[in-house]
Amino acid sequence: MIPRHFQITISFLLAAILIAGIFIIELRHSEEAKTQQGLATAPDAPEAQGKEESIPVLVAYDEDMALRWRRTEAFMPEERDLRARAALRAVLAQYHQSPSPHPLASGADIREVYLLNDDTLLIDTTAPFADGHPSSVLLEEMTLTSLIETLAANVPGITKVKFLVEGKERQTLAGHVDLMNFYQLNEVHELAKEFE
Amino acid sequence: MLWSRPYFIRVAIVSGMLLCWRGFSGASQQPRFVMPSPSPAASASPSPTPAGAEKTTEPEFLVIIDPSHGGDDRGVVFAPRIFEKDLTLALGRLLRKELQDRGIAAHLLRDSDIGIPLERRAELCNQQRASLYIAVHAGEPGKGVRVYSPLLPSVQQPVSGFLSWDAAQAPVLKNSNAIAGAVTHELRKKDFKVQDLRAFLRPLNNIVAPAIAVELAANRSDFHSLESARLQDAVAAAVASGIAQVRSQLGVRK
Repeated sequence: MIPRHFQITISFLLAAILIAGIFIIELRHSEEAKTQQGLATAPDAPEAQGKEESIPVLVAYDEDMALRWRRTEAFMPEERDLRARAALRAVLAQYHQSPSPHPLASGADIREVYLLNDDTLLIDTTAPFADGHPSSVLLEEMTLTSLIETLAANVPGITKVKFLVEGKERQTLAGHVDLMNFYQLNEVHELAKEFE
Repeated sequence: MLWSRPYFIRVAIVSGMLLCWRGFSGASQQPRFVMPSPSPAASASPSPTPAGAEKTTEPEFLVIIDPSHGGDDRGVVFAPRIFEKDLTLALGRLLRKELQDRGIAAHLLRDSDIGIPLERRAELCNQQRASLYIAVHAGEPGKGVRVYSPLLPSVQQPVSGFLSWDAAQAPVLKNSNAIAGAVTHELRKKDFKVQDLRAFLRPLNNIVAPAIAVELAANRSDFHSLESARLQDAVAAAVASGIAQVRSQLGVRK
């Protein structure tokens, strides 16, 4: 016969183990959900640097399946890499408006840009930029074309661009358009004409 | 009394520990994306697939049809139960039939709901020494059909006779464009709204044979039109007709 105080202690211990187990599982679920929504990786808004300028941005319009040049105000630093990042973020800002001409996932952003040999730019994007991008040949192509063309218009001298996601290579943006290659800006320029 | 049974206590403690272990070990994670190798699935399929290429006489002209996506990769989700991967498979099967009716040998790269990595799709097509590769897609926005030809990211010269994987398409790009043009022409003849575009679409650039992609397009408000058998039949027939017209220009398999 087990003594009563021992029974009570065991009961409390079992209850504690069960509650802890359930709590840990719930915690994992909520963290995963946060990551998927991009809340965990959304970068903080950068401090405004440089002079405010009116810059050209090539904006994708899903409804018309077209890309159109627009002007927007953005703080543009002198350094070429920072200038490139500011230009790219100016395009994304258009897509995060409501209503958006080309909706992207919340948290879709540029993490960092790396300028190599003055002519090659590596663009590191956040996970939601790719994970939350609508899966569609046309929409994926419009996103990349609008970013690359805006870059070319605001940071002369860049001839090649490659996209990374969270610092790593990825095969496609959202199942279709290639992210493994270096994009030649002159070829993307030809492609952009098809969307005019 | 219940507590007098040591067996019950042991079971309860083990259950509690299991719950904790599930939490720590990440048992709640989504199942990992496991790509089945194409061979077992293909062997389970009654239709000709790469693994099922047991024909004794090899055709002189072979079209490889690639219904995009599959398995865990659903592609575009038009509605809770309408996925791009299913539409591409349906259109792929119709296209195979239309080509075979015209005396053209055609294989599906997947004939069931399996996922195949993009690089593997290119490998399978190249191993089959295809005369032509057609990727089938369905997407939004728009209405009608979009025909994509490859857009090479940069001109890369072969090194010691070997082609770069990313520019394997370069020597046959002209033929790819010709086929895209012929298919577009046939689709327009059938009164489809057609866009002839170029795209950095994977894995077109990794294919050594002429390669194009055909995409059925619909707006989200009108996605049910994509399921129409009549539409799919007409598109498949027009694409097959376009291929039949340029077949003579493409030569035979080497």
